[in-house]
Amino acid sequence: MQSTDQDQPSVARRALSGSVLLAISLAMLLIAWGYPVGTLTQMGPGFIPLVVGFLMCGLAVAIIALDVNSTNTAQAEQIHWRGLIFICAAILIFAALVDALGLVVSMFLAVLVSQFADDQVRPLTALIYACLATLGGWLLFILALELPIPAFWR
Amino acid sequence: MVDQFLLGLSVVLQPHILMYAFIGVFIGQLIGVLPGIGAITAISLLLPITFHLDATTSMIMLAGIYYGSQYGGSIASILLNLPGTPSSVVTCLEGYPLAQSKRAGLALFVAAFSSFIGGMVGVAVLVLAAIPMTLIALRFGAPEYAMLVILGLLAASLIGTGSQIRSFAMVVLGIALGLVGADATTGYYRFVAMPELADGISLVSLAMGLFGVSEIIRNASRRSPPGPALSLAMRDVIPTRAEARQLAFPIVRGSSIGSFFGALPGTGAAIASFMAYAMEKRVSSTPEKFGTGHLPGLAAPESANNAAAQTGFIPTLTLGIPGDAVMALIIGALILNGIIPGPRLMVDQPELFWGVIASFFVGNIILLLINIPLIKLWVLLLRIPYQKLYPVVIVMICVGVYSHRTSVTDVVLTLAFGVLGYLMKNYRFEPAPVLLGFVLGPLLEDNFRRTMLLYSGDFTVFLTRPISAVLVACSTFLIIFAIWSSTSVRRKSVQSIP
Repeated sequence: MQSTDQDQPSVARRALSGSVLLAISLAMLLIAWGYPVGTLTQMGPGFIPLVVGFLMCGLAVAIIALDVNSTNTAQAEQIHWRGLIFICAAILIFAALVDALGLVVSMFLAVLVSQFADDQVRPLTALIYACLATLGGWLLFILALELPIPAFWR
Repeated sequence: MVDQFLLGLSVVLQPHILMYAFIGVFIGQLIGVLPGIGAITAISLLLPITFHLDATTSMIMLAGIYYGSQYGGSIASILLNLPGTPSSVVTCLEGYPLAQSKRAGLALFVAAFSSFIGGMVGVAVLVLAAIPMTLIALRFGAPEYAMLVILGLLAASLIGTGSQIRSFAMVVLGIALGLVGADATTGYYRFVAMPELADGISLVSLAMGLFGVSEIIRNASRRSPPGPALSLAMRDVIPTRAEARQLAFPIVRGSSIGSFFGALPGTGAAIASFMAYAMEKRVSSTPEKFGTGHLPGLAAPESANNAAAQTGFIPTLTLGIPGDAVMALIIGALILNGIIPGPRLMVDQPELFWGVIASFFVGNIILLLINIPLIKLWVLLLRIPYQKLYPVVIVMICVGVYSHRTSVTDVVLTLAFGVLGYLMKNYRFEPAPVLLGFVLGPLLEDNFRRTMLLYSGDFTVFLTRPISAVLVACSTFLIIFAIWSSTSVRRKSVQSIP
């Protein structure tokens, strides 16, 4: 995780974050190009998006220039893949199942899967904890708060 | 003014409203204690619940969460060296060394007491400023609103820590995200990639993703260190007379700095606490003691962030312009309750306006009273490992976002913003300016377009109207100051704040 002076990130790596921003702003300009611009007095819906797009483009270029020339760029933190994957999976499972199977099942699976984002998890503990958390969630969301979400499939 | 404040007190002291004020500050202190869950997450979670309450009660509860979290944030900083809220990062610098030298009780007491004084000063400034500010705000037209929003956005990106150009780029990205959906003036659909986006990106999704989900991804494998032994005997908690004398001026300075930065749109409690710490270090006759558990370095930022949390409501309540990301959510809650914040609020809804202000007064007293007696409970909470906490938070975020508009798309968007927020922070981009740009962007576009329409495209109107000219001058000053300070910092290459 720690980087020494020898493995300074390459120019391409240093320019990465600014380039992503540049790509976003170019995409934005491309889409907004077709919107009616209007005049300064009677602005159309496309006027401000173009201004914002050009401004963001300029800022992105400036950030790339600064990052590439800077000598003491701190190495980006290493990406925590395990956390990223399992948290994403947990939320996607919830989103995919909540309409079809109701709150209880989707809540149970979300708690169960998200616990694997921690690299020291034990499967049995995770299972027990998921049951308890689901019970608590059912009490809170369905009984106490009476949220208008079905608890089970219909 | 006194009459209005008493009217407010009579609103707050109704039992059911008092109960919600208590619930608000209690939850606020609780989530402030727990690292990784901030006021933004808690307020977004409770947004759906507030639909069952009237506007005054929900506003009092949500505001209580905000300033309550400022109290709680210092507890985890002192005991575990983990900032519970962004504004308590500097509290760690002095608080944790104190806890290591077995003086945690004293540190907690000083933090709570400074917070209380800071909060009360903030409330007093708010009460004094409310009527004059509303009178000024009633004369605001479209050009003034446009310039004030620009000043706020500049302040958010140019003041404080982190790279200024990166923060500014994030403000602009936030404005861009705010453009998604139907154009307010013409109804034209902009950037609507799928039909669910026709109403725009949901504020709840953006806030929960950028601040809630991204922090969980980052911290899922983190182990919390064991807390230090804690003595709460009276003689260990109360500062000695000499120590107390040492604290008076830092608290006064901290409260003043906090009140100023809180009231300025675009800057909030986090920046105020950094500024107060830097200031205290500069004026101190013993700067070498900072970082070793020096009490003035603890008291000043603690009073500053609480003062700022209160005066942050000045632009929010009188102008309808949120000062920071949390205020943006609170304004969102008001709008969802059918109330348009702005200068008419004090005139049309005096019970709400003064009731909310009086609730800050009551809430700060409640917070001081529950802070020290409940310290055992907070210490117990800090023993809960993060690995047991975050799966529950994930579910709360999912259910909160889903129940807001019964939309699966919103849940997926929340995840997308979570991943974005995580990657952004890895590449030194701060997420808070995005949220501010998102909320203020539509206000800016609307008022700018209206100005151009009313004054037929004449830019000089921004300089010929007096209030607008003052705001332009402030913005110009801010830009010059930012350029000057960034070049002088590079010349000296000194880092004043660790």
